[in-house]
Amino acid sequence: MTFLHPLALLGLAAAAIPALLHLLERRTPPEAEFPPLRYLRDAERQSARRLRLRHLLLLILRTALVAVIVLAAARPILPTGVGGGSGGSGGSGGSGASGRGSTAVHAPTALAVVLDNSLSASAVVDGRPVLDRLKALARASLAQAAPGDRLWLVLADGVARAGSREALLASVDGATATPQRLDLVPAVGGAARLVAAEPLPAREVHVLSDLQRTALGAGSVDVPGVAELVLAPPARVPANRGVAAARAGDGGLTIAVSGTPGASAAPLVARVQPPGSAPARAREVGRTLAAPGQSVTLPLPPLAPGWWIGEVLLDADELRGDDRRLFVVRVAAPASVTAEADVGPFLSAALAVLRVARRVVVGGEIAIGERLGAARSIVLPPGDPALLGQVNRALAARGVRWHFGPPGPPGTLASADLAMVRGVQVNRRYRLEGTEGDSGVVASVNGEPWLVRDGGVVLLGSRLDTTWTALPGAPGFVPFVDALANRIARGEAPVAEAVGAPRLQFFTRGADTVGATVFGPDPRESDLTPATPDEVRRAFPGARLLDEAGLAAERFAATRRADVSGLLLGFALLLAAIELAVASMSR
Amino acid sequence: MVDSRRLDLLDPAEVARLGGIEIVAQGVVEGFLAGIHRSPFRGFSVEFTEHRAYQPGDELRYLDWKILARADRLFVKQFEEETNLRAMILLDASRSMAWRGDPARLTKRGYADRLVAALALILLRQRDATGLMTFDEAVRQVIPARVKAGQWTRLVRGLIDTPDGLGTAAETALRQLAGLLARRGLVVLVSDLLLDRGLALTALRYLRHRGHQVIVLHVMDPAELELAGPPEVRFRDPESAASVVVRPRELAGAYAATVRREIAGWRAACRRHGVAYHHIRTDMPFGMALRLLA
Repeated sequence: MTFLHPLALLGLAAAAIPALLHLLERRTPPEAEFPPLRYLRDAERQSARRLRLRHLLLLILRTALVAVIVLAAARPILPTGVGGGSGGSGGSGGSGASGRGSTAVHAPTALAVVLDNSLSASAVVDGRPVLDRLKALARASLAQAAPGDRLWLVLADGVARAGSREALLASVDGATATPQRLDLVPAVGGAARLVAAEPLPAREVHVLSDLQRTALGAGSVDVPGVAELVLAPPARVPANRGVAAARAGDGGLTIAVSGTPGASAAPLVARVQPPGSAPARAREVGRTLAAPGQSVTLPLPPLAPGWWIGEVLLDADELRGDDRRLFVVRVAAPASVTAEADVGPFLSAALAVLRVARRVVVGGEIAIGERLGAARSIVLPPGDPALLGQVNRALAARGVRWHFGPPGPPGTLASADLAMVRGVQVNRRYRLEGTEGDSGVVASVNGEPWLVRDGGVVLLGSRLDTTWTALPGAPGFVPFVDALANRIARGEAPVAEAVGAPRLQFFTRGADTVGATVFGPDPRESDLTPATPDEVRRAFPGARLLDEAGLAAERFAATRRADVSGLLLGFALLLAAIELAVASMSR
Repeated sequence: MVDSRRLDLLDPAEVARLGGIEIVAQGVVEGFLAGIHRSPFRGFSVEFTEHRAYQPGDELRYLDWKILARADRLFVKQFEEETNLRAMILLDASRSMAWRGDPARLTKRGYADRLVAALALILLRQRDATGLMTFDEAVRQVIPARVKAGQWTRLVRGLIDTPDGLGTAAETALRQLAGLLARRGLVVLVSDLLLDRGLALTALRYLRHRGHQVIVLHVMDPAELELAGPPEVRFRDPESAASVVVRPRELAGAYAATVRREIAGWRAACRRHGVAYHHIRTDMPFGMALRLLA
């Protein structure tokens, strides 16, 4: 037994008050004449034994009454012995009744609450966002924390926030659904290891999530000594559809739809907004039907040069956050290109195709050949090795930090930016050597730079000829030359995608916009399919899978203790009633 | 205005405020005799004289059953007051008699004085020789039984002149009284009986043995019947100065039972020895007390 207010036990000295009062009361009684004293003595003699017993009983009752009230004021705490420790087998829907109520307390506990506020938690189920229910449970867990507990809150960003109960309750209240996906297994694992490191009698992790199947991922968590209480997945989730991706390309606007498997197709519409105009001037460019798992392509109409902002919209459903996705369309003016005669037949042919397609025009903006041009240049290695020194000196004179090195071994191309060249064989090449590390590397062979850019100069490690590389014979050769002339030589970045609140971020160089990042929700959030209990147990082998009632019963259950002051006060009332009865028994 | 003819039925303390013992006693006796319309003590202080024919309304107890059986005629017996009956009244004047539980009441002694005066007046009016003996731990005053004029005044003066004594020794007075009464007579003991019951009963039995009729009037204050007072009190015996600390509320039940048992004990012991016993509370109207004796 422990006491919440042990200093109150000093009041036990007050238990002597009844005895002292009894003694003090006897010292100075009033005096009176009473002739039939002999009757009084007879009566007293006959009642002496009963009176002594009654006095003793009253003294005991009054002393006990004071002692019990003082004990109650000290708030004694007793262990209730309810609930399981860590590593339960995880029966669903526990409902331990004992220890409930506002008077239950527990031993100091390290508690981490994992609150999944990812986008999927904003889905509306039964007229209420799932996140509201999860936040209420998180509040309940934190609200039961005692001053001696150590607390953390883990949200969808995976960061474990330590703090006081009040601070974390405020964080819970302020939590909103984020576009991020919470990877539950590493998040719970981190939280479990965090609480396991605390030297406290009890350690718990409360996992409050809609338990999407996609949130579990691979791996599992089982940290000994930590009780993991996992809210059971919902029995029913709504069918959902979301725009997983929207990318503008040469073939038009490609739209991928994700969501709950089996959900029916829903109408979607694409709009674009002219560069520099207000959103109100957006115009529809296509409309179609799509179901989760499908990808559709909408042709884009001819657009004037510039960065066009577009959006794809799905009909509203229970999860609104994934019904809209932004995209950008960059329509560039054709690069004006001058190719030297020694560039070879393949490159010449590709440029001819691009000219026909109005992707390039003849002009002096970009020079392609073995020598540096006056402006932007795409420099191929000279066919005569004797000319390498001359080319390198010219590069150095221009201030280019790259130069041609000795020949390198064959290999395959790799590039993060140029998907059309990936895996293409390179048989002959020169190593490209620079002074700034890998800065400016666009493609590589065997990990060594093969295509680099520095300022307005692009160096290729191989000539674009089939004796040097298989690229001229690959389907991506013309697009490669297109990208080389229109984007890489011009210094433009590709449009990137990232997870975040729907928005666009443009990159500029001087007055020119050279790239953009499109932010949108993680497409995996659109699939609301819950994990099965078996899948949850695989991910968290030691966890207890509980419904809301079970969770309420099992919080801090391992070391839950009861405040018995209420019982003691009840006992004091009983003692007072007995004292009253005994005191008035012979009156 | 108080009806002087029925002072016997009023509250004794109220009656006592009307005047001295003589006035009160006379008023009580007048009212008492007017209420009963006959001599109250006929039958023990008168002797048979003649017969007369029965008249409707006569008391059946005076029918002569032997004549009725022999001659089949109804005759009642006529009595003549006996003038040479001697009655002695013993009054306990001990310290305990000078106590009252409520200032609004008479002390036991005050009540007893007035009752004795009234009783003596009745007896003397019947021409019974009446005397008085007061005692505490010793005999304090003896007024021999006489029937001559001025006897009642002497008796009342004797009551007034007897101060409150200390202890109680009734057996001494009773034995001395036996020596004073040469032939059969009436002895009335008026006391709160806070004395040695064994010794007192021995003396009473001796009087009965000598042929005297004995009446015991047990005077008690109502506060002596029920124990009350502050939560805790030290009670002191006015005669012995002994004291005891009690909590009246927790001892009240046992005390009341003890008093009832004591009264019942006196009543049973007196009946066993042929002594008439009457319990009288000091808030009882004098007429009711006198009626107990009729």
